[in-house]
Amino acid sequence: MTITDFSVILPVTLLTAWASILLLAELFLPRAQRPFLALLAALGLALTLGISLAQSAQEFAPGFGGMVVRDGFSNFLNVLFLLTGLFGVALSYRYNQRAQIERGEYYPLLLFSVAGMMLMGQAADLIVVFLALELLSFPLYILSAFAYPRPQSEEAGLKYFLLGAFASGFVVYGIALTFGASGSTDLARIVASVAAGSANLPLLTAGAGLLLVGFGFKVAAVPFHMWTPDVYQGAPTSVTAFMAAGAKTAGFAALLRVFGAAFPALAADLSPLMAILAAVTMLFGNLIAVAQTDMKRMLAYSSIAQAGYLLMAFAPFEIEAARTMAVAGALFYLLAYTLASFGSWGVVIALEKDLDRHLSIGDFAGLARRSPWLAAAMTVFMLSLTGLPPTLGLVGKIYLFRAVIEGGMVWLAVIGALTSVVSAFYYLRIVVNMFMREGEPAVEREWWLEFAIGAAAVVTVVVSLWPFPLFEWAEWAVMKLF
Amino acid sequence: MDASQIIFFLSAALILVSALFVVTARNLVHAALWLIATLFGVAVLYVLLEAGFLAVVQVVVYIGAIAILFIFAVMLTRRDLLSQSSQTNANWPVALGVSALSLAAIAFIARGFGFSLDRPLAPVPTDSLERLGQALVSPQQFVLPFEVASVLLVAALVGAVYVAMNKK
Amino acid sequence: MVPVSYYLVLSAILFSLGALGVLIRRNSLVIFMSIELMLNAANLAFVAFTRVHETFSGQIFVFFVMAVAAAEVAVGLALIVAIYRSRQSVDIDQLSSLKG
Repeated sequence: MTITDFSVILPVTLLTAWASILLLAELFLPRAQRPFLALLAALGLALTLGISLAQSAQEFAPGFGGMVVRDGFSNFLNVLFLLTGLFGVALSYRYNQRAQIERGEYYPLLLFSVAGMMLMGQAADLIVVFLALELLSFPLYILSAFAYPRPQSEEAGLKYFLLGAFASGFVVYGIALTFGASGSTDLARIVASVAAGSANLPLLTAGAGLLLVGFGFKVAAVPFHMWTPDVYQGAPTSVTAFMAAGAKTAGFAALLRVFGAAFPALAADLSPLMAILAAVTMLFGNLIAVAQTDMKRMLAYSSIAQAGYLLMAFAPFEIEAARTMAVAGALFYLLAYTLASFGSWGVVIALEKDLDRHLSIGDFAGLARRSPWLAAAMTVFMLSLTGLPPTLGLVGKIYLFRAVIEGGMVWLAVIGALTSVVSAFYYLRIVVNMFMREGEPAVEREWWLEFAIGAAAVVTVVVSLWPFPLFEWAEWAVMKLF
Repeated sequence: MDASQIIFFLSAALILVSALFVVTARNLVHAALWLIATLFGVAVLYVLLEAGFLAVVQVVVYIGAIAILFIFAVMLTRRDLLSQSSQTNANWPVALGVSALSLAAIAFIARGFGFSLDRPLAPVPTDSLERLGQALVSPQQFVLPFEVASVLLVAALVGAVYVAMNKK
Repeated sequence: MVPVSYYLVLSAILFSLGALGVLIRRNSLVIFMSIELMLNAANLAFVAFTRVHETFSGQIFVFFVMAVAAAEVAVGLALIVAIYRSRQSVDIDQLSSLKG
């Protein structure tokens, strides 16, 4: 074991250790000091973020005999996951007090989940992919059910659990077939065996297909999406916000890593399939979202639709230049999605005064008069999710569409553009409600929440005006991937 | 047909029949008991594949812990034990189609491959258990997954205790 | 001796049976048992492939799958029993307060 081994997994190790200490800290904190735990959790995340940023200049390094790596890709994702964790804590802080779920287990579980996500980004072996997937999922099952005995929360937890376990069945079987085809679970060795021609391609394709089904569940791609609305609606909103951003990003991290690096040989077989999956997901997610009146369900279907746009990144895999651009575009879009998703769920939390009543779209009426800044921020997030200027969502979509067109799949870009127009209908309906309709929405004033929403909105707008450094970072991140 | 083939076909029959009963049994206790039979059949196959250690772990962890926990859970939720309502949901024909299709797909793909494997197998080295143990703690091999699994168990434990605790 | 392909066919059938159980049953306990069948099918394939490739990393993967399955059972059964406590049912179709 060398220093490099440790430095590669230093952020994950620190976060895990911090989570364990946090678990013990609750014992020694009097009940009145519970809010302090959120602060401690945020401190741990911030420290880890600092270390990850400090490591971002360092070179590619494998660790533990090729089990994990540190490269630009994992660094970009580590930063994204830690931001996700920080947002998650900020959104949970007061909401959990209101929902009376302020328990000591909450933040350690959240940190374990973030650690799993980070490990997913760094995984270079399918064993680690599998274990990271479970490490990020288990805490999420529990967190979804965290508000038990509230029936909705319990049900959300059970449904998420059963579907998640079902999905990991597919993942394990897919890994088994991949192992059978290539004789290894190490991504680099799988690539090498494909290149050497010793791998069995039909079996490898079957394994990749099963992996795709398993991760399709995780990222909520159609037709593996049916758990999403129920779970997003039933789980405590703070957990939903964390899950919508974090679990989806982690699922895509695994897909990008496995399909981007390990299966270029299968691209000819898989990329039409991916394109169809992306098209169906965009169409279905957007069309169903139009019909929703419940805010949480609408955002759930919107997150399904967003998975469709991200899946476009896997379509142009046959052409080298388009592939690199598509993956960089996906990373960029994941960042834009994370900010907009957290922001809009944050606004939902601010408006969710009565936790037993479902927040409908009509409840946004009059928000612009009642709380202009909140309404302005919500407008930014809706514009970003639609892909309109001046937001990061637009920049991300342009990069993704350009990659798809350069990959020769104009029809897919057309479907993407058309469904974006459809999505404008339901996203902008909220904006219309906020600014044009009269109403008296009840708004929770919470400093941390407002800070998180404001930060997400400002970054979404400001970075979109000068996105080139960010895009260079994303392109640098995927440089070593191929 | 030699002894190993007879054992294989007997265990395969045991596995498939009892798995079918797990999926179709109306009585949940029976389903759990059939599950144990399936797990036992798989353990026998592990022995046949000369993975003795895994066979033991299969019996101790899967049958000894997991299946027994299932029986506990069945007993704790016993009102549903013999419910008169239908045990299957409305879309079972679709499900049957999807399963059959996926089976056909996997079988079709495995067909071209599987039989190419049917060559005489090399004997398993006698110190395989020792090597397995060393691999699990060797930094160049599997120590990281091993540690991640331990973190996973902690997270699951904390979560399970939290959910099982009565809040009132 | 038994050809390895026999094990693979058996594992594919077992996997499909498990998936069928998940899709057709309504009782969440039986659904969970069917998921265990799927995991066992994958494990069987792993051990069979390990025998072919003459490397034991497949066996180690099975070891980890078993550890994860044990953790999964702890979490899953805790959730199911908690639901039963408040609902007196573990039937997945009766969990309908979220529909609509």
